[in-house]
Amino acid sequence: MSEVEMAVIKPEMMKSYIWLQTADGAIQQVEQEVAMFCPLICHEVIHKGMGSSKNYAISLPQRVNPAMLSLILDYCRFHQVPGRSNKERKSFDEKFIRMDTKRLCELTSAADSLQLKPLVDLTSRALARIIEGKSPEEIREIFHLPDDLTEVSGACGNCVCLASQFPYVYNFNIDYILQEEKLEPLKNTTDDPRIRLLNRLYAKKRKELKEREKLKNVEVEEERVDERSVDDLLSFINGKERDSKVIKSSKNKKKHRRKKDQPKNTCSNEATKTHKQESNGLNLVCLSAEVGYKFRPDLGESSNVQNVEDDIFVRKVDFEDVDVDDEIDPALKEKIDREVEDFARRLNSDWPERMQEILSLGQDMRPLHHSINGNGTITKYAK
Amino acid sequence: MDITSVLPTECLSHIISLTSPRDACRLLAVSPAIRSAANSESVWKKFLPSDYREILSDSVSSSSLLTSLSKKELYFHLCHNPVLINNGTMSFAPEKESGKKIYMIGARGLSISLGDEPANWIWISLPESRFPEVAELKLVWWFEVKGRIETKILSSKTTYAAYLVFKFAESRHGFGRRPVTLGVYIEGSDNQERRRPVLDPPANMQSLAQDRADGWVEIEMGEFFNENGDDGTLVCSVFDFSSGYTKRGIIIQGIELRPNAKNSR
Repeated sequence: MSEVEMAVIKPEMMKSYIWLQTADGAIQQVEQEVAMFCPLICHEVIHKGMGSSKNYAISLPQRVNPAMLSLILDYCRFHQVPGRSNKERKSFDEKFIRMDTKRLCELTSAADSLQLKPLVDLTSRALARIIEGKSPEEIREIFHLPDDLTEVSGACGNCVCLASQFPYVYNFNIDYILQEEKLEPLKNTTDDPRIRLLNRLYAKKRKELKEREKLKNVEVEEERVDERSVDDLLSFINGKERDSKVIKSSKNKKKHRRKKDQPKNTCSNEATKTHKQESNGLNLVCLSAEVGYKFRPDLGESSNVQNVEDDIFVRKVDFEDVDVDDEIDPALKEKIDREVEDFARRLNSDWPERMQEILSLGQDMRPLHHSINGNGTITKYAK
Repeated sequence: MDITSVLPTECLSHIISLTSPRDACRLLAVSPAIRSAANSESVWKKFLPSDYREILSDSVSSSSLLTSLSKKELYFHLCHNPVLINNGTMSFAPEKESGKKIYMIGARGLSISLGDEPANWIWISLPESRFPEVAELKLVWWFEVKGRIETKILSSKTTYAAYLVFKFAESRHGFGRRPVTLGVYIEGSDNQERRRPVLDPPANMQSLAQDRADGWVEIEMGEFFNENGDDGTLVCSVFDFSSGYTKRGIIIQGIELRPNAKNSR
């Protein structure tokens, strides 16, 4: 070889590489100074002598897939250079974290498994900024979380034990309970809007049961044994009330008969998504988004519970006037149910916190200490 | 794919601890996995002031709280039940929204001119006060009350506002028309900024004093931005002197310092 060629080859030969293997089996080599920026890799090299050749490639934790490794190495490659100014680093970081939320999560996880704290902090802060100020519903959307909350309020016989008075809540089957019980209206001495609505619920259920008797030969939706809570149904009713307001000029296949002509609900400014498959133009998402917006647990004001609920619930529709529409499109009904369940869970989960607020401020609430267990037995609850 | 299957709970808790107490409470309603991350000790320990153990150890009654309550329970307990420190002359609580420190210097911790003269001020116990004693003015011409607090115990990078916490007895005099002079400044480098509100204006005049949730009244005395706590002693003063008017009938619980609403987190 000529001298020139030797001069070109030498720097390359002197450069060291570390061999890394990701969980999928793929092996790659990375410049030493870049890889050593990761504490985990550093530890493997120094204390275990790994990474010096293909056969001794360092096995990376499962959370580090090739895509994440590539990102992490980009980060390391930039930051391991000592001469950079703080301004440069900050600028790089700001551009670096511009990625979708899913990748941010994966990156946080991968960086955490490699113990690369500066990157974990960077991505964690970015995720914290995304979370700040959002309602639980919005957060569920962003992170694609399933609605798997099965905690619902407990109810017993003719007493309503409002979840806000309990630190814990139980599953139960309200359809079962309502059918077993007499569905008599509850005494509402405190004019609690929830009790008001529960009474309406009972009235509705009574009516529904009567109608089922009549329409046995008509194909109606199967009576599902479901986990819906008091509040699901309360919200369902409320959803129905709102629905009837929204569906004013809708292009329905099936016409919804209404006795009252309700004004169109202008809630589109609150909606976070507007995709719709039904042709009826009903903006259910708007309902939940609006409700989600209104239901931020307000740490400072315990009275907010009642006020906010009043905003949403107090539409004094005489329940007997609302049409129970026999022809509800099952797909639409399912959509309503989903939104309603989500709404109810939000309510239920906020209550422990709200209750803490209320209790701490010394308000005198009288909890009714009964609850129904899943199998229908009643448990007396000592607080 | 959801976030809770990607991120381990410790990572989630770390992210949540970078938000705010309010956000953490909202997160309780998202999903069970997120709820358990949001309830974790590490999150609420981060929201509590970093020196909370030191502060609580100064309070005789609160040592049991440290062991019996979870960090989250402790946080909310303290928010609603300020602890007495410094021999019962001061109270401490975290501000619920941010976890920053709120201190009230009780009347016994203030410098009240002629405060020890029974002809001028008397010390009484009121059930609605968090301190064992409050000061009631019997009669003065020279009305001067000062509270001093070390900036190093305040939360850093925070704008604090000082409030005189007081109320009036049935019979009072000297505060209805004459303004008092309120000031907040660093000892030794007075900025000379003063406010001159009337504490007890007649019904047709608007009062700058605000009702508090604890049954007392407060009026803002001034503001101070605490960078790192190395500015020395902060002085909050109330003053009025008139040879023509006597004063009586004001009951002082203390001077409170808390982060003002303008703070960004």
